[in-house]
Amino acid sequence: MVFEPGFAGLGTKVQARDLVPSPRHAAAVWRRNALVFSKLWKGALLPTFLDPFFYLLALGFGLGTYIAHGINGIPYKEFVAPGLIASAAMWSAAFETTYNVYFRMNELRLYDNVLSTPVEPQDLVAGDIAWSATRATVYGIVVLIVVASVGLVSSPWAIAIPPFVLLGGLCFSVIGYTFTALIPKIDLYSYFFTLGITPMFLFSGIFFPFNQLPGWVEVVAWLTPLYHLVEITRGLATGPDGVQILIHTAWLAVVAAALFVIPVRALRAKLVP
Amino acid sequence: MTAVVSRDAAVVARGLSKSYGNRLAVDGIDFEVPPGICFGFLGPNGAGKTTMMKMIYGLATVGGGELLVLGMDAVRERRRIKSRIGVVPQETNLDNDLTVWENLILQAKYFGIGSEEASPRADELLRFALIRDRADDRIQALSGGMKRRLLIARSLINDPELIVLDEPTTGLDPQARLAVWRALERLRRRGVTLLLTTHYMEEAARLCDRLLIMDEGRIVTEGRPADLVREHAGREALELDLADDCDPQALLASLGERADGHELHDGALTLYAEDAEELLRSLDHDRFPTEAAIVRRATLEDVFLRLTGRSLRE
Repeated sequence: MVFEPGFAGLGTKVQARDLVPSPRHAAAVWRRNALVFSKLWKGALLPTFLDPFFYLLALGFGLGTYIAHGINGIPYKEFVAPGLIASAAMWSAAFETTYNVYFRMNELRLYDNVLSTPVEPQDLVAGDIAWSATRATVYGIVVLIVVASVGLVSSPWAIAIPPFVLLGGLCFSVIGYTFTALIPKIDLYSYFFTLGITPMFLFSGIFFPFNQLPGWVEVVAWLTPLYHLVEITRGLATGPDGVQILIHTAWLAVVAAALFVIPVRALRAKLVP
Repeated sequence: MTAVVSRDAAVVARGLSKSYGNRLAVDGIDFEVPPGICFGFLGPNGAGKTTMMKMIYGLATVGGGELLVLGMDAVRERRRIKSRIGVVPQETNLDNDLTVWENLILQAKYFGIGSEEASPRADELLRFALIRDRADDRIQALSGGMKRRLLIARSLINDPELIVLDEPTTGLDPQARLAVWRALERLRRRGVTLLLTTHYMEEAARLCDRLLIMDEGRIVTEGRPADLVREHAGREALELDLADDCDPQALLASLGERADGHELHDGALTLYAEDAEELLRSLDHDRFPTEAAIVRRATLEDVFLRLTGRSLRE
């Protein structure tokens, strides 16, 4: 894998006009993805309804019955449920920005066409990421509806969850897109999922809190975007602490914004050599 | 090359080059495409044609030298250039998840064209491409020829002044190819500048007003098709299938000045002359036995093979 000059174009000089997306052109890219999804959503969303049911059944109603006192004063079912909203968003964004983007880019060659119109790489990445975050929000809302309908949400603040899921979705999508723009072969996604997404799912505080674990575990978790989104959704579903939510929100926003230039530059280096 | 560049040239390249890693794909070339004509790039695989086209339509950065498209600098004004040209790529990259109609409407969106303007335009383009009755079909339901015509229709959504076509008829049956040719001829009559690459010499001869032959990243020759044939091949060709005991070098030596040129490849000898039949009669058939002889007009194919050789490029 040789990229010239510099790996993924990261060593080259880039001008601001090549990084700042045009909203109108990014919106056209978003629209294409939304149009395709609008034809497939019935089939695509059904598993999203079933998934949280299975987790709640196995963990909340199964394992949870052995955790008599709940966690931090919250019944175990209610502890797990809001985290599943966050993880649904993560899985959605991870699949959208890896396999789906990979197929559009490398198999269907759609991006060759899009980039020979006035759409530039930064518009394409922005539109795709905005779409991926939108889809993640739709999936998160589905899970929110499921857990609320079985009575696992105790605070009315839960209604405010979707915009935070959108922000978390942006953050997950930027990371997934970066990976897609850098890898030469589709086989490498197994590393992304096995070493990135799955451990994040298990160790971001969805299923157990970090209070009893060594301090470094929490430090590691703090570096993952899922941890912050889980803290936000759980806070809003059980009774929020405004300052904490602000800190987690800022983390997600800063990381998403700071990383955005990486997939833009990598995609440009790959498709406009 | 012309020293003074006319300001309204569709494309101007000066010392244009491009390399991928250590491989030099385009090696400092100069050319100028006048507006309103059909300009063809010919060359064997790997000659640098596609790289050249990609620099023009913004899918490859300019490596070195200068490239002006519709008077705009290809390095600094990429977005503006792309908004005024149309592209028909070598590979079909239509959106398979969408219908024919949706493909055109979305393409309009990429150009920032609003819905009120896009619908009548898409309708007109479907008629132009003779696929109006297939508007609601998925892309998979179209034949290869229809997909090609849809690609051309898609490239016209922004009413471009310049259309870049990379091998527009490769893989099509004769009827489908003819339909594409007719569409391109109609466009040229409207005054659109066409820039195309092709491997089919009869296509180049039929469509192109000017041709540029490339090999290994450089320009080999440039000119009007008929002039190129006259200059590099002559008027007629004599193809000889030499018998095993015929010595080609001795045969060539015996001809002296009577042939304008020749091509020898695996016992097949092509001779170029003003009057090929006369040349055939004058051969010493006892000394130089042949299995078969064909007299024909010289074509672009002869020019191409003479200038770029007969060996395979892979």
